Amino acid sequence: MPQFFFNKKVILLLVGMVFLVALISFSLRDRTNATLPEQIIKDTVGVAQSIVAKPANYITGIFNNIDSLLNTYEENKRLKARLEDFAAVQAEALVLKSENEKLMELSKAESLKAFNPIQATVIARNPDQWEEKIILDKGSSHGVEKNMAVMTAKGLVGKITLVTPFTSEVELLYTNNPNYRVSAMVLGEKEAYGLIEGFDKERNELIMKRIDSSLTVKEGEKVVSSGLGGIFPKGVPIGEITEVSTDDFGLTKMAYVKPSADFSILENVVIAKRTLTVIDGSDGDATNVDLSNPQKATVEGEK
Amino acid sequence: MVRFLIPSVAVLLFLLEPEFAMLSPIEVSGHIYYLVPRFLILYLIFISIYYSRQRAVMYGLFFGVLYDVFYIDIIGLYSVLYPLICFLAGSIVKIIHQHLVVTTTISVVLVAILEFVLYQFFYLIAFTTIPLTEFLQSRLLPTIIANTLFLMILGWAFKYLINARVLQRAREVS
Repeated sequence: MPQFFFNKKVILLLVGMVFLVALISFSLRDRTNATLPEQIIKDTVGVAQSIVAKPANYITGIFNNIDSLLNTYEENKRLKARLEDFAAVQAEALVLKSENEKLMELSKAESLKAFNPIQATVIARNPDQWEEKIILDKGSSHGVEKNMAVMTAKGLVGKITLVTPFTSEVELLYTNNPNYRVSAMVLGEKEAYGLIEGFDKERNELIMKRIDSSLTVKEGEKVVSSGLGGIFPKGVPIGEITEVSTDDFGLTKMAYVKPSADFSILENVVIAKRTLTVIDGSDGDATNVDLSNPQKATVEGEK
Repeated sequence: MVRFLIPSVAVLLFLLEPEFAMLSPIEVSGHIYYLVPRFLILYLIFISIYYSRQRAVMYGLFFGVLYDVFYIDIIGLYSVLYPLICFLAGSIVKIIHQHLVVTTTISVVLVAILEFVLYQFFYLIAFTTIPLTEFLQSRLLPTIIANTLFLMILGWAFKYLINARVLQRAREVS
């Protein structure tokens, strides 16, 4: 009898192991949507999490305030120095803006820059920090969709990878995921286009690859998103170039980019819903489906 | 009252972990250190040691599933590791002495094992590419230090709370 009992335990263990491996491999697949029970759990935990996040954010806010209060004197000095340039820059910006508007009207072009902002609060960061992920308190019921750009006032942070009705998940820019690319451009004398792909863990900087080698790219130049990837709006700041070199094959240039957004403490972010047509082309399946006008796309498909 | 206090502390710790995770990574003189808060599993290990192994395994399973679904998106990782760690803790304590210093040490060692197993798993599925030495230096060591500090501050409170529950239960039985 004990022999039988022992066997039963072993069989149970084996079945459990098989079940476990099946479960892990199921969830490791590139899933685009969360299953229903997952969505329910995510939303429930998300609601509880956002309740806890409020006082926690408040407390970190206080610490940040104290920190900035301590730096006031230095900051004030620096700001005063900048203020002198400010008037001139502002006047120039106004002129450019009105000019731009007129030209836009003439050409009737929709700007790649335009987007509808959705304000969101960070309610959690993946605590084990193996995958660089944060979770926001806005979901599909607020109009958030997959692949939207997420940014702070300082710059691009990441993009939405998973949406449930009340929460959404953001994969941060500094990830190891090789499929994660952002089309970017360098604002030099001549605009140089490239792709942000990969993150250098040791330098703590992003890597911008595939820059045309005939173009000159210098240290200190600003990098912004180009809007050509089909997902992100144009002109979102990404960072500043710190070093330029040639890539592995010597055909194109690559540059290290120091991100302008601070990733360590994120509280409030903006989800950018691009107003112009969004194309499902840059990531994953690359179907080139027009996501903004799904109706039209299906009609065309039927023809 | 005490009866509901034990699970509610667990829920609270579960919700607080990601808030503390937002403070990480920290940069000290050019080096990046990751501090991974493991408050919940430390608490569950304490429950397993001082209260009931079976109960701790149940809690571990429940919170493991939540953790997997909400944060990791790989179902079956924490939901196995959490109960396993609780089970180990409960089994070890039958052999040795239940002094607070000893249990703290055991908890920290178990958390280190957990971290290491997770590192091996993520290395296996190529989520991370950092070499072992880098992992030990920038992740495991700071994490252990941070969690030891946490236990030193709150370990006695856990023990006090769990003991109160054990006493209450004993009174109910008698």
